[in-house]
Amino acid sequence: MSQMVRSAARSVFASRGRFLLTGAAVALSVAFLAATLVLTDSMRGRAAADIAEALAGTDAVVQGVELGEPGGGPGDPARSVQRSLGPDITERVVAVDGVAGAAPQWVGFAKLVVDGSSVGTGTASDVGRNWVDDPALNPFRLASGQPPTEVGEIVIDRSLADNAGVAAGDVVRVLTATGMHDATVTGIATFASANAAPLQRTVLLPDAAVSAWLDTEAPTEVLVDVAEGADRTEVLARLSALSDAEVVDGPDHIRTMQDAATSPLQFLNVFLLAFAVVAILIGVTIIFNTFTLTVARRRRESGLLRAIGAERRHVLGGVVIEAAFVGTIATLVGLVCGVAGVDALRWVVGLTGISLLTGPPIVSPTSIAIAAAVGIGATILSAWIPARRAAATPPIEALRESAAEPRAVSRARTASGLVLAAAAIAGGAMAVVNSNPVWLTLAVAIVPALVLCGPAIVTATARWSSPAARRTAGVSGSIAAGNLAASPRRSASTALALMLGTAMVTMFAIFASSLTSGVGTDVREGLEADLVVTSATPDVSTIDPALADRIAALPDVEAVTALSSAEGIVAGKAEAIGGIDPTALPTMFDLDPIAGDLADLSSGGVAVVGDDPARLGGTLEIEFERSTVEAPIVAVVSRSIGGFEAPLYFVDAATLDASVGRQLDAQVFVDLADGAAADAEEDVSALVRDTPGSFLATQEEHVASRGSEIAAFGNFIDGMLVLASLIALLGVANTTALAINERSGELGLLRAVGATRRALRRIVRLEAALLSFAAASIGIAVATGFGWAMIDVTGGTEIPSVVVPWLRLAVTLVIAVAAGVVAAAWPAFRVSRMPVLDLVSGDR
Amino acid sequence: MSPHPDSAVVDQHGSALSSDADDAAAMLVGAVKRYGAGESAVAALDDVTIAFPAGKFTAVMGPSGSGKSTMMHCAAGLDRLTSGRAFVGSTDLSTLDDRELTLLRRERIGFVFQTFNLVQTLTAEENICLPLTLSGRRPSGDVLDQVVSLLRLGDRLRHRPSELSGGQQQRVAVARALVARPQVVFADEPTGNLDTRTGQEILGFLRSAVDEDHQSIVMVTHDPNAAAWADRVVFVVDGHVHDVMDRPSADAVLDVVKGLGR
Repeated sequence: MSQMVRSAARSVFASRGRFLLTGAAVALSVAFLAATLVLTDSMRGRAAADIAEALAGTDAVVQGVELGEPGGGPGDPARSVQRSLGPDITERVVAVDGVAGAAPQWVGFAKLVVDGSSVGTGTASDVGRNWVDDPALNPFRLASGQPPTEVGEIVIDRSLADNAGVAAGDVVRVLTATGMHDATVTGIATFASANAAPLQRTVLLPDAAVSAWLDTEAPTEVLVDVAEGADRTEVLARLSALSDAEVVDGPDHIRTMQDAATSPLQFLNVFLLAFAVVAILIGVTIIFNTFTLTVARRRRESGLLRAIGAERRHVLGGVVIEAAFVGTIATLVGLVCGVAGVDALRWVVGLTGISLLTGPPIVSPTSIAIAAAVGIGATILSAWIPARRAAATPPIEALRESAAEPRAVSRARTASGLVLAAAAIAGGAMAVVNSNPVWLTLAVAIVPALVLCGPAIVTATARWSSPAARRTAGVSGSIAAGNLAASPRRSASTALALMLGTAMVTMFAIFASSLTSGVGTDVREGLEADLVVTSATPDVSTIDPALADRIAALPDVEAVTALSSAEGIVAGKAEAIGGIDPTALPTMFDLDPIAGDLADLSSGGVAVVGDDPARLGGTLEIEFERSTVEAPIVAVVSRSIGGFEAPLYFVDAATLDASVGRQLDAQVFVDLADGAAADAEEDVSALVRDTPGSFLATQEEHVASRGSEIAAFGNFIDGMLVLASLIALLGVANTTALAINERSGELGLLRAVGATRRALRRIVRLEAALLSFAAASIGIAVATGFGWAMIDVTGGTEIPSVVVPWLRLAVTLVIAVAAGVVAAAWPAFRVSRMPVLDLVSGDR
Repeated sequence: MSPHPDSAVVDQHGSALSSDADDAAAMLVGAVKRYGAGESAVAALDDVTIAFPAGKFTAVMGPSGSGKSTMMHCAAGLDRLTSGRAFVGSTDLSTLDDRELTLLRRERIGFVFQTFNLVQTLTAEENICLPLTLSGRRPSGDVLDQVVSLLRLGDRLRHRPSELSGGQQQRVAVARALVARPQVVFADEPTGNLDTRTGQEILGFLRSAVDEDHQSIVMVTHDPNAAAWADRVVFVVDGHVHDVMDRPSADAVLDVVKGLGR
């Protein structure tokens, strides 16, 4: 056995180059997988641990009666809407027997403003809450300075302080629901031991400032400390007897908070893991190809061994040990790189705007074990298959036969692939026709179909592209096209990896562009105002309500109207409810009423967004934080004001304010007077610039920028495209190098009969380009079809129509082909430098 | 065929050369090829001077490791000499860079190898025309027809190498070597992989190319029967030219070869 290990090691070292590439592929995929696992683990683990630590002293939480299920889509923190508590709730809680302490929590919007600009961007929300004096109940800990005591004093979380470069004693401003406030930072706090609460930027206020700044009378929740020695269960039972309130057990509360903080990650995790799987697949392909060739080249040797009496397992064992050797070393390297590369991945993920990791990554043994098992397992498995095939060959045949792969493509294989493909296409069509996503599962069969049809596709590509290649690149072209079909199975497996990579990118690109377009349609068609003031954070209201009045006071402004938005529960679901001025809005944004009259909103009615005029005259019940509104439906409109979470219901602004308290404005529409002075827009712009949390856009700009939140997602896709190309690059480089090795005699012949080095390089590059082109275009085509069917079936109202981003797909194709050519550059260069004789004699 | 430009050099190198020098298709002058360095260096060619006459069929024979293949490779511009000079016609190969050497091989030399003779992905016709298409030329129809009919390949032109027998493949290779009308054709054991009858056939084609078109051919072989088809046999032993025999017969060649073994 040890002798076998030694000989395997010797054999690996003897063909360093090939195994270096294989090893690199394994290491890279393991690194990607490990980094993904560690990152998602860490983000989840960190957030969960921070929350658990911060809330450790809270035995129970008293909160408003829950009105509906938390909403929550991709990238959304799960939220629920609760009825507000009574102002006397704290006294009532303290009065309960067995309660040692109760800390009311007022939570609202507060954005830190330093030097005229707001601090922090991305998906984290800006939260203002009161400082809790009881250290057992306070989730925050003072890191430096003093707690806030007077109105105008604040404490901010450490990550805000770091971002803004603010220290205790600095004077800043805070934008809240009641406008802009001057404030002095008295201290810096941490959330338990983390720099910030997960997905939040927190400004902590003294209790005295709560009513004036956050505009809330009653607390959002009351944190309860149960007295030592008291029976917790009994205290909880007594608390739950309180009217108009619900009590949540401390551990349950922690779990809810943890889920809320980590749910935006689910989507990201799936996405990252999908890429990791593709990375592994590419890695496996490379290993498989390499070992197939290694085994083939050693066929004679193993034939000889078998002829003189070695058993199958000897032949097989050598290869498997060799694979284990390469796999283990590469996996170790990959694990180290992966853990070290978590920061790089965190940066890429940060492009989405989701950044959750508040501390160093947590490397759990499970992540490492999974990555290691996959790395080593995949290597051994993909070496074992060709090795078994070799060992099964009768010795005499192994001695006699040449090493080349048969050129013929198995008909049965192609046929079964075609059957699967037909089933997949039929499944997609059924899904679209019946609007039933279940059929989509059948459409997934396109992946195995492609695997099975791969060699046939490659052969066909070679045949079809040959005339074109010949026309454009002469005899080099037809040689390159022909080479593609020389080992169809190997070419196909390389192509598959590339195909999967481009397919993933394509799917997400289509998803993003359809979403963007869906979000933008209403704005494109409805917006009539000259200027639009938008919130600093999309879909969160951050505009100082005073701004609309200030703009209205400008001389050349004809009309101004603001739009606010709040959450309410309609039929058990959390929905965004818009508050508008029903007389002013229609001239600036046409909601396109198809029934009823918007003007009737002022008498307490509600307008619904939809396409069914028959809803007019019905009644709608909306449960808000402070009250329940039961309103007649006075209008049905066909559009909303655009955006990710555009309201599906509109009420009068006054009604909304009365139901949820004062809100910041979400958007302000501005119409300039006809013949307004040229600098009228500049005047508005100056006012907006002085109001943090607001941005000014012209009509065209606003139409163009809707859906910009998805642009962040686009960045992430681009980052992934780069990673996918990098791994695919290895695949192409590997296949090219292998193909060159196998065909060195032929290449030598070409050189001997007069092909220049350049011509040789050209052939190799062309071959890679053809393969990449075929793979990428099939990947893009299949993903376009599948993505189209999927969005069409599951898109719903958010994505009403499928938009294929042709330009981006074209760029993807170009990048994939360019990556292929770049990957082939080094093997091409090497082979062109080799002495002709070495090539001819096959001595390399 | 241009006469050799530097007859002074030639005269220094003995009588074997002088008679043919003015009419050589290819020539080696003081050729030395050494592999390795220092004490372990092995001289595959040790000061060889020889001319391969134009319009003649020359066979190069010698035991394994005698340097006969090295001699051919260096004369054909596939390998470079350690010292000395190699000429194709009047061109001194040592003055050419890789690109010029490649162009020379493409335009003035034909090759027939023992194996790896054809590009598998091209048809027989494409393989035959390969040296021409590589330089962006088209074969003249006459020449192609002539070569194709000489080698009786008319009905095989559209086939790919994998659809041809070994003998047919080698005929395609010979056609490729001849079609550009090169100054000299080098053949490295062209019959080594063929059965006797097919081998004889190939040798017959080479012979008739010399007789009918005055093609110059240099063939490396270890088979006395193959060598007997040549106008002249050059015997190489230990990197030296041991003997030269004109108008050889198989028996005479065999006698010399037996002598070499001793």
